[in-house]
Amino acid sequence: MRLKTIQTWSLMVAAYRELNARKLFWLSIGLSGLVVASIGALGVNEEGISIFWWTLESPFFNSSVIADETFYKLLFTNLGVSWWLGLGATILALVSTAGIIPDLVGAGTIDMMVSKPISRSRLFLTKYATGLLFSALQVTVFTVACIIIIGIRGNSWEFGLLIAVPIVILFYSYLFCVCALVGLVTRSTVASLLLTMIFWFLVFGVQSGEQIIDMGRVASEMEVKAIERALETERALGSDAEPVEIERLEGELTAQMSDDATWKTVYAPVHAVSTILPKTGETLELLERWMDDVAAMPDRFGPDRNRDRGDEPGSDIFGGSARVSRRDLQTALAEERLSRSGWYVIGTSLLFEAAILTLACWIFRRRDF
Amino acid sequence: MSLAPAIDLQNLQKTYAGGVQALRGVDLFVGTGEVFGLLGPNGAGKSTLVKVMLTVVRPTCVTGTVLGEPVGHQATLGRIGYLPEHHRFPPYLTGRQVVELFGALAGMDRAPRRRRAAELLDTVGMGGWSSRKLGTYSKGMQQRIGLAAALINDPALVVLDEPTDGVDPVGRREIRDVLARIRDEGRTVLINSHLLSEVELICTQVAIMVQGRVVQRGTVEALTRDSARYEVLLRQQPPAWTLEVSLGARVENGAGIHANSAEQASAEGTPSLFRLVLPQLGSIELQGVLDRLRNECFEIVAVTPMRESLEDLFIRAVKDPETGKAFAPGAAR
Repeated sequence: MRLKTIQTWSLMVAAYRELNARKLFWLSIGLSGLVVASIGALGVNEEGISIFWWTLESPFFNSSVIADETFYKLLFTNLGVSWWLGLGATILALVSTAGIIPDLVGAGTIDMMVSKPISRSRLFLTKYATGLLFSALQVTVFTVACIIIIGIRGNSWEFGLLIAVPIVILFYSYLFCVCALVGLVTRSTVASLLLTMIFWFLVFGVQSGEQIIDMGRVASEMEVKAIERALETERALGSDAEPVEIERLEGELTAQMSDDATWKTVYAPVHAVSTILPKTGETLELLERWMDDVAAMPDRFGPDRNRDRGDEPGSDIFGGSARVSRRDLQTALAEERLSRSGWYVIGTSLLFEAAILTLACWIFRRRDF
Repeated sequence: MSLAPAIDLQNLQKTYAGGVQALRGVDLFVGTGEVFGLLGPNGAGKSTLVKVMLTVVRPTCVTGTVLGEPVGHQATLGRIGYLPEHHRFPPYLTGRQVVELFGALAGMDRAPRRRRAAELLDTVGMGGWSSRKLGTYSKGMQQRIGLAAALINDPALVVLDEPTDGVDPVGRREIRDVLARIRDEGRTVLINSHLLSEVELICTQVAIMVQGRVVQRGTVEALTRDSARYEVLLRQQPPAWTLEVSLGARVENGAGIHANSAEQASAEGTPSLFRLVLPQLGSIELQGVLDRLRNECFEIVAVTPMRESLEDLFIRAVKDPETGKAFAPGAAR
């Protein structure tokens, strides 16, 4: 155990020194500072939104509509986490760390490493963990800076925002495991970076596709139920019922059930693929979902989020239909989304990550260098 | 073979994916405390052999031990120091940090690691440079750091692949001194090198590998014993009886080797100096030959004891005796 601790710690220290030596790391930290400064420069007062000492007057967005602390927390989740940590900083982190595994398996380095009394799996996993160090340092510095800004500007010290640290590291780890596997197989930094970006884009595409198809499926399902209800109502009239209307509704129901079956057929494989893949977007959304518990944020994901949306029937299946209102559809979708627990989102993603890392370890253990 | 084995391998075979047979049944014994030179042309399988011992490459088949444990025993790796040929150390670390990193990977505690790193850096002449980053070092300086990194864990067995590669003559001399000190401390050293003169100076035993097999093995003295000879330089053509005093006796001059003096004379006329080569002859028998030549009024210009160099032996070992050409580089497919 002592040997393992010494080895792991020394590899971590070496990784920190490597990060320290990389200009991109400091550029990334500098950009994080700029984002934090931007968040700090924005404010909300009675007249509208303030930027430094200027005020953009707005009767719709001022301190009577949104409290200072909520304004900053929203900036943190929407701008800081979703855009900066979830996109900009992640790309910079991938660029910075994509070379870790190719460098490890490069001739001249790997000989020195695997000839030491350290198991290959542990060596690989430790180097993988050092890759996450970049993201960990980045997100920790950023989140702590944001907590300070929110504390000073919003008069609310929300240490619960630190939940962003493990969530963003998790999100980054889904991508970095693919990066590590590709780097191991190809021994190329460029290939591992490019293929990871493609994978990320693919995951985004599958998740977006699933959401769109799910919307169609749920709407179709609701439509079937609405037609069934209308049919029941009509039949309940007994002798007063219009046979023509019943016939029309039956025809409509048959057609809608056929549509419903098609939606379900299309949805099943897309959902299966999406289940296997890591939930990058949904993991970051967890932050917003959990922020309500840990940092007293307004719940923007509950069914009530659609209370301001119209309850009038829409004109198309996605925005509602003659029988299904847009609000009911959005509420049903939000409920379904909430029915996926955080543990499902993280668990299935970690299963994917574990599978990729197991495969990478297997390759690393068997390879001749 | 009276020494305890540091390395004792039998039937070591390695066939890479694609069917390249890098090692074809190598048997290797290196006794504790020996400085062993592993020689061979490019692609002979030397590096693969070393890499198998250090678990960098998985063997297809092997029996035997390294430091008394089976090949691949992980804890044993902590007792081995290794410097690969084309090593690449992290350029963002200083010399001291590199040496300490490899000490930590070998499982050394912080305090002894620091102390030993400082000692070794002084030993390899890098004490004054240890706080500079490796990216600023020359090849020779990196080689010295590599040597210190290989020795940081106080290893019982030191495996060095081209340790003097890129090092200037003064540095080579210093590295040789370090190796001699390691040998004197009772450690075993396995050196893989193309610099045969270096190997000849320091190694107690050598093995020559060709196409995945060990073709010669022993002390340099034993391997070159058959080539020991005396060369007698004469002003006149040696008499015929001199060709019968030892097996393989011959007369040479600058133009080439001839089976006998008559053939030489007919081919090239009478040279001013003749070299009488007398292999397989003891010093006592030599005195008799010299006395008789003097009695017969032959003028002896010089007498030189000669022995084949390791380089000559190497060249002979890597040549196909049938074609006289060097074996093709790389092991057979």
